[in-house]
Amino acid sequence: MLADLWMWITDLGNSKIVALVIFFTTFVGIVLYVYSNKARSERLESYRYVPFLDDDEHKPQAESPKKQGEK
Amino acid sequence: MLKHESIETNSGLLIVLTLVAIGIGGLVEIVPLHYIDSTIEDVKDPQTGVEMVRPYSPLELRGRDIYIREGCYTCHSQMIRPFRDEDLRYGHYSLAAESKYDHPFQWGSKRTGPDLARVGGKYSNAWHTQHLIAPRSVVPESIMPNYPWLLETELDYADVGARMIALKKVGVPYTLTKDEYTGWTDDKGQKHPGTVERFGEKVANTLDINRAEDNLLAQAKAGNYDGDPSSISEMDALVAYLQVLGTMVDFSKFDEDHFIQFR
Amino acid sequence: MAHSAVVSSEQYNYEIVKKFAIAAIVWGIAGMTAGVYIASELAWPFLNFDIAQITFGRLRPVHTSGVIFGFGGNALFATSYYIVQRTCQTRLAGGTFWPNFTFWGWNLAIAIAGTGYLFGISQGREYAEPEWYIDLAIAVVWVVYFLIYTVTLVRRNQPHIYVANWFFMSFILATALLHIFNNLAMPVSLLGIKSYSLFSGVQDAMTQWWYGHNAVGFFLTAAFLGMMYYFVPKQAGRPVYSYRLSIVHFWALSFMYMWVGTHHLHWTAIPDWTSSLAAVFSILLLMPSWGGMINGIMTLSGAWDKLRTDPIMMFLITSLSFYGMSTFEGPMMSLKSVNALSHYTDWTVGHVHSGALGWVAMVSIGSFYHMIPRLWNTTIYSTKLIYTHFFLATIGVILYITALWVSGIGQGLMLRAFDEYGNLAYTFVETVVFMHGPLVARAIGGMFFVSGMLVMAYNIYMTIARAKQEEKAPVIAVAQA
Repeated sequence: MLADLWMWITDLGNSKIVALVIFFTTFVGIVLYVYSNKARSERLESYRYVPFLDDDEHKPQAESPKKQGEK
Repeated sequence: MLKHESIETNSGLLIVLTLVAIGIGGLVEIVPLHYIDSTIEDVKDPQTGVEMVRPYSPLELRGRDIYIREGCYTCHSQMIRPFRDEDLRYGHYSLAAESKYDHPFQWGSKRTGPDLARVGGKYSNAWHTQHLIAPRSVVPESIMPNYPWLLETELDYADVGARMIALKKVGVPYTLTKDEYTGWTDDKGQKHPGTVERFGEKVANTLDINRAEDNLLAQAKAGNYDGDPSSISEMDALVAYLQVLGTMVDFSKFDEDHFIQFR
Repeated sequence: MAHSAVVSSEQYNYEIVKKFAIAAIVWGIAGMTAGVYIASELAWPFLNFDIAQITFGRLRPVHTSGVIFGFGGNALFATSYYIVQRTCQTRLAGGTFWPNFTFWGWNLAIAIAGTGYLFGISQGREYAEPEWYIDLAIAVVWVVYFLIYTVTLVRRNQPHIYVANWFFMSFILATALLHIFNNLAMPVSLLGIKSYSLFSGVQDAMTQWWYGHNAVGFFLTAAFLGMMYYFVPKQAGRPVYSYRLSIVHFWALSFMYMWVGTHHLHWTAIPDWTSSLAAVFSILLLMPSWGGMINGIMTLSGAWDKLRTDPIMMFLITSLSFYGMSTFEGPMMSLKSVNALSHYTDWTVGHVHSGALGWVAMVSIGSFYHMIPRLWNTTIYSTKLIYTHFFLATIGVILYITALWVSGIGQGLMLRAFDEYGNLAYTFVETVVFMHGPLVARAIGGMFFVSGMLVMAYNIYMTIARAKQEEKAPVIAVAQA
């Protein structure tokens, strides 16, 4: 039984279906992981601010005084 | 347990998993094509059993090199699709087998000009030569560039043998030894057909790398493609190539729906 | 004020970013000018002038390599080196030598390849025309690029790897994979320029379009999304809309793009299943593509007024809109029934340019207007000229793609038209006559876009010139600021 399944999986002709199944389960896994847990969501969203951690944002810019609000 | 957090904070892991994600698609699509037998049809003459699709002769090969050099593929396709209008305009749809010796393939992606997959034999040599020198002198509305230098430039065929050897290394059945020509039996008793058996004697002679230059000269002389027998120009080679395109498979020898089974 | 900026330009390797940025603008103008010229050759064939080196077939790869690898490639080197340093808060790895090695290696390779095309040295593979010896050189440069990027990531001072860097990483990895496998070839001799591809026919076609479409997917999409994920938030002064969405669409995009290349080969002699599979994945790909677009555009939510007041933001958001449009058009064209009409026509060329000009070029231009004044520690010379550039570019793109919709769909319909007796209604050359008008309009659209690039070059030149003056007279500069 298991051997049959293995044969089917390793058959090149079935490779697209196998890859699709792997892909889809992985994808669902990622979505669940990312959205399921509240604390984790908050941690992930905190990374949004990484681009604003560099140091010279307050240097003179024609268009920029409002940038301070986000930091 | 593997956490996404560790991917985010570990560049090595990020690299490996990204490689896996991008690797799968290519493997699944391309690798099977190298192993599935039905990918390329086996097109043999029903009466004689000789393979219809053959490697290019030395002159045609040099013509093909010029076709690639001039970037003809940027405006002309060599791939007829199975539609009624294309059938009426260009002929039978292209078979996979017809480009099996094309390194690289020249199917193209754009038809600024018409498809050329079966242009061979449709026009005379004189028409092709005139059309390549000055396209608008035969087709007034054409937007193709003039290629006058093809007629003026003598064909450099000094390294045609070396070119055939390179193609032989990537799998084109050009021959160097007597065995490859006549066929041989290996130690395990397995028979390997030679080019004579596969393509017939006449074609097999043109595939012999040792005679490449002689064959090239003979074909150019006999064909007189550019109308100037005094020298062999690049025009000779290019027209010889154009005139063989799509002519190798004789569709009159097969039932009308014979090739559908391979699609 | 001036103090912290001086620190950051010492902390980071800005010299290499400056070089790549300037090279990108130079290549952009050269490559796009070549594009306008070959577009004009199609409208007015006398422009070929019987000169072998400038005929359409030889000049076309100069255009494609010039804009994709010259403009796009240099823009990606510049922005990726800038972003990886700023989001990791560490200096670029490799000292000064190795980053410079990637600069000279990359640009020399494109320059030699481009000159070669004029003399007919080409592999005859679309978007992979350079011959084997240049391919080898590019592979070496790319490995060095990968190492510089990875080592910089490893040395970062910020525990989290920001999502922009993921996109750049997948672009670097995928490009290496694609470049190597698609360029496997047998040289005729080790001292000669000519080579023949390892694969032939069906297998070669599959390999080439696996490469061709993923050059679009990873070189022209994933990497520019990396650019987007840094510069849109920075310019908007707001963090990206949803970080979780960026994670999901990153993995989906990286996985799915690799499957869809075969939609370039619908109805050809490849096995039917490969092309059906590619069509399915092309439709699915709409979701991660739009995930990226939504994430970018929604970053501006609550600050929509910037779309009126900030021309850099106009470039960035317009680029995302074109990205959304062409990633909708693409899956539609990958449906086999639509593809039967669109393939081989100008519709494809128009689609490519709505992505290449509308998305890739515009997001790069917007990013450059943000980045270049910061690199030279100054402000832009003229905001008005950015507006001018924006309108020239937008009019150019719209004219370009509209003209090619007319040309492509028109030709497709004419070629499949039958008269009442069941004969073909039009000869091929009649479609060529029909396309003349749209091809003229397309060339004009291209001219608009190039003139926008010239305005940019002037603006950037003046910005840098002024920055250098300020450097010489620091007291006055500080007083003015």
